[in-house]
Amino acid sequence: MAGVANPMAGFRLVAVDEKKRFMLALIAPAVLVLVFFQILPILTGANASFRDWHLNDPKKTWIGLTNYAYVVRDREFLNVVLPNTFGFLAASVAASLIAGLMLALLLNRQFPGRWLVQTIVLLPLMVAPVIAAIMIRWMFNDQFGIVNVILEAFGIAPIAWLTQKWTAFFAILLTDVWLWTPWFALLLLAALQSLPPEPFEAAQIDAASAWRTFRYITLPMLRPVIVVCVVIRAIDAFRTFDIVWTISGGGPARATEVFSIYAYVEAFQFLNFGRGSAAAVLGAIIIVVFAMALYRLLNRWVEVSR
Amino acid sequence: MAEVILTNVRKTYGAVVAVEDLSLSIADHEFVVFVGPSGCGKSTTLRMIAGLEDTTRGTISIGSRVVNGLQPKDRDIAMVFQNYALYQHMSVYDNLAFGLRNRRVPAAQIDAAVRHAARTLSIETLLERRPRQLSGGQQQRVALGRCIVRNPKVFLFDEPLSNLDAQLRGQMRLEIKELRQRVPTTSVFVTHDQVEAMTLGDRIVVMKDGLMQQVGSPLELYRRPVNRFVASFIGSPAMNFFDVHVTAVPMGFRLSADGIDLELPQRRFAGLGAHAGRAVTIGVRPQHLRLGCTQVDQVGLSGQVMVTEQLGDEQVLAVRVGAGDIRVAGIDPELSLPTGTRINVAVPMDNLHLFDAASGVAIR
Amino acid sequence: MSTIEAIQAPRSRYFFEALAPGGRRAFFLLGTVATCLLFAFPVFWLVLTSLRPGYAVYYVHRGSDFTLDNFREVLSQEIVLKALWNSFAIATLATVLSLGVTATSGYMLSRFRGTIPTAWFGAIYVFRCVPYVSWVLPLYFVTRAMGIFDTYWGLLLPHVAVHICFFSWIMKGFFDGIDPSMEYAAMIDGCSRWGAFLRVALPAAVPGLTALAVLCWLYTWNEFLFALILTAQNTPILTVVMAQFVHELGMEWHLMSATAVLALGPALIVTIFGQKYVIRGLKI
Repeated sequence: MAGVANPMAGFRLVAVDEKKRFMLALIAPAVLVLVFFQILPILTGANASFRDWHLNDPKKTWIGLTNYAYVVRDREFLNVVLPNTFGFLAASVAASLIAGLMLALLLNRQFPGRWLVQTIVLLPLMVAPVIAAIMIRWMFNDQFGIVNVILEAFGIAPIAWLTQKWTAFFAILLTDVWLWTPWFALLLLAALQSLPPEPFEAAQIDAASAWRTFRYITLPMLRPVIVVCVVIRAIDAFRTFDIVWTISGGGPARATEVFSIYAYVEAFQFLNFGRGSAAAVLGAIIIVVFAMALYRLLNRWVEVSR
Repeated sequence: MAEVILTNVRKTYGAVVAVEDLSLSIADHEFVVFVGPSGCGKSTTLRMIAGLEDTTRGTISIGSRVVNGLQPKDRDIAMVFQNYALYQHMSVYDNLAFGLRNRRVPAAQIDAAVRHAARTLSIETLLERRPRQLSGGQQQRVALGRCIVRNPKVFLFDEPLSNLDAQLRGQMRLEIKELRQRVPTTSVFVTHDQVEAMTLGDRIVVMKDGLMQQVGSPLELYRRPVNRFVASFIGSPAMNFFDVHVTAVPMGFRLSADGIDLELPQRRFAGLGAHAGRAVTIGVRPQHLRLGCTQVDQVGLSGQVMVTEQLGDEQVLAVRVGAGDIRVAGIDPELSLPTGTRINVAVPMDNLHLFDAASGVAIR
Repeated sequence: MSTIEAIQAPRSRYFFEALAPGGRRAFFLLGTVATCLLFAFPVFWLVLTSLRPGYAVYYVHRGSDFTLDNFREVLSQEIVLKALWNSFAIATLATVLSLGVTATSGYMLSRFRGTIPTAWFGAIYVFRCVPYVSWVLPLYFVTRAMGIFDTYWGLLLPHVAVHICFFSWIMKGFFDGIDPSMEYAAMIDGCSRWGAFLRVALPAAVPGLTALAVLCWLYTWNEFLFALILTAQNTPILTVVMAQFVHELGMEWHLMSATAVLALGPALIVTIFGQKYVIRGLKI
């Protein structure tokens, strides 16, 4: 009996192995790159965060949680960076979602010149965030910027946009919304165009108004796409670096620093790599937990409201 | 040349058993149809023969060669898929030639084979087109052509007709039958449609919940189903069933239920003796019921007409007998039977099926 | 009759019609034009600034002197030319490598079930969330230790790593939309698993791949943070060079704008030629 069973087991082993080998071969390059250029650096950073590691004086002695203790007690981090980061995240995602949705609804209609409008609206997608940020900085320049010129034409005194916290923050936010609204619009437009027509026809027969059709049919059907877009965009907004760096550099007086800027400034300007790494690790933990929670929350919301 | 033999084949996905201990021997040039409801394991069995799934236990051999562990490409088989699975980015010609090119057949030989297959299926004019540009029936022919061009040991069909509309399905059924006569290759055909099974198969394998229920010729399955499931699955409209209580009487048995009272002579159902005092299920095909009074060798029922369905060449009735409804087919279409009409229905003793009420096993 | 119509008319139409005849249409037109202005203005302003001579740049809205000197001056700087070429090469190579690596990974996620795909999927979800700053800072040391800091490889491979998580996920979506029975047919027709993937599944995914290629190229071309930290004099990258114009040379807006317009050019070409593939690819 055992003699019969063994060759069968042999066959099974060969079949499974061949399939597993194929699976592993498929992901092997991705895994290798990920390990060497993401996981290894993350571990290096985590290691550095426990050490006294100044870039100009790399002693690299183990100092335990000292760097973390500094960061979580740092007033700059607690009272400026965290509120800024999450405030920026919420405002940017909300504004670009609403604007993107409106644009998608507009572009989903048929009207003459639609192609042109679509091309213009998608323009920001190909502009580098750095270019956009430089442009905004130029437009909001307190002496020569076009924004102040226009304000002056209306008899309003020029505003020193980038030297005050809230106006600088507004400029940053505006750039981000300008950059990312087309992204939302593009994905939502693709989703709108792939919705089945029957529910809309049924709504027409039921004499639903445009608003009620949108509220009770379009929006619920788009909800899964919106959830995915919001989660992705929220994670990206959390790690925003380039536009803040270019527009305000975190200034005036570190008032507009967000999390990424804080870690960069600590590591490369104050040259305390250990402390910068600790901030980065803390940020990573916060965002991973936040992303998981957000995903769960929105997922449940989608299911309940279905 | 190529018989297919499955020995104690079993397939599990984790704790779920898809196919349980299936043994079957398919002769060379035989056309075997696997039929059953969705999820019964018929497609899994086919995919195991193809090598797209590995077996958990048991062996499969094609042409006296054990093929477990062999890649699909090394099994010398061809397969038609439910959605045809034509290569969308290749022309029809390239679709047909793909398999031969993979096997490094000389180009001239490929060309001859493709043209021959195209002629056999009358798709010569479509060779330069893309699959997207073809109708459902044409795509189906290309999928068939992809099989015959390679001249494999076995043809495998995975519900190939279920995406076609009813009319085309009937036509393709005939074409497959005709093709079989010209290209007699061992074939395994999977379907959930019992009509396809009955019309195409030399032998039919009925499956349910991963278990083989019965194997036999179409007529065998129709006439002598081994259990209630096979009886209900084969034949259209489906067989009528009603549960009755058995009591032994002199010279025979009495079967009774609300509104039903039948007497059967002992000689017809010898096995019924063991069921005296218990419940059994009676099965009668709608086609075997006749209107009118009972004659010799018939048993009768009486009930009220509930609904009539006019099909043109016949009427099908739903008749309330006791608490349940039975269907009666083959009624003269001219006959006027308003709802509520009381009628008598007779059934020849030879066409009566009895099943154990609990297990569903046929009583003979 | 008229009351019934009034009840059935959507409230919004009622409102606009009351406002003016054709008010609804005018409202839409106005909104559309305003939107276009809002989206186009910064780019328009950038181009305008780049065409002004240095002395007139501070009053872009006044005067009518236009010149191409800014472009001439910028293009005469060796670092800008080098940066243009480097950015182009890195973006192109990163696109090819990223797509190659993630197509296989996404295919695996789409076609197989079990512990390996589940674990891999979990890994890419988590690593997708990790902020760039958390690994780009130590990445500086890692690339230095590997001896590839300030080289093509030193920027290229981190860029591929950036794309792995997200693209694997998107690719999984592309392959989910392709019926696997085509690959089964290919395997029966004599292909190995690799053959079925390369010759049947991959060609079927080309529309999606093209869309992703366009987006990937644009993203890499525009990327700033990684370029800032992982490159130095040997490998200047356009976005970094541009930002340095502002920080180091103080107020040379006209030169900066000219460089930015130069950077915009290839992106514009890619977008114009890629737009239809992107929209087609996203719809699937």
